[in-house]
Amino acid sequence: MKFAVMVLDGPYQHQAADTALQFIRAARARGHEMVGVFLFADGVGNAQKFINPPGERNISQMFEEVAAAGVPVVACTACAKFRGLKPDLKTEHITLSGLGSLAGFVRTSDRFITFGD
Amino acid sequence: MSTKIVMLMRKPPYATVYPAEGFRAMMGMAVFEVPLCVVFLDDGVYTLAKGQDPTGIDMKPLSAGFAALPDSGVTEFYVHDQSLAERGLVPDDLVMPVTVASAAEIEKVLAGATAVLPF
Repeated sequence: MKFAVMVLDGPYQHQAADTALQFIRAARARGHEMVGVFLFADGVGNAQKFINPPGERNISQMFEEVAAAGVPVVACTACAKFRGLKPDLKTEHITLSGLGSLAGFVRTSDRFITFGD
Repeated sequence: MSTKIVMLMRKPPYATVYPAEGFRAMMGMAVFEVPLCVVFLDDGVYTLAKGQDPTGIDMKPLSAGFAALPDSGVTEFYVHDQSLAERGLVPDDLVMPVTVASAAEIEKVLAGATAVLPF
């Protein structure tokens, strides 16, 4: 099955980003295709490369690993502007793009799943 | 099944960024001709209420944008009847014509969707 995911929450404050990552891992481990991950609203905070939590899981690094593995992980350009996330502050493989990417993920997935309140 | 997206608006218009971002997502998907409809329930029905003036909290009114969505090709709007009634609202209190629907009717709309995006 083809899945796409949208994340509306940033890292650490709520469980949403972690749950999204665990879902992505589990789906891929079972052979499902992840057509894309869209980081929307505060979700763009998961793309910050300078996240460095002492002794804890690194959520942006985990999204970066998903992106580096070939899954398109896209942070909303406008949301990034609202939050001061300049392109040079994001991790290498996560890209900044507009709502066209969201539309594409919605169109090409069999199931579109939102994480966040 | 052909794509049919339901945008599910459940939150009041200004307490969080979600209704505004939901609106932006609708506009974005409408530009790319993704077929979608919009369902308002719970406090989300306030998003369409007439007479919004959020200038006192340094915000722009959302209702005008929603009322203009038909210009972008979004023409299906459902409002939960009980959510309206519980808030003392009637369809004339809303900024645009909508389909007032029961929970069972909204359930059918949701069941027919290829994806539901909650905002």
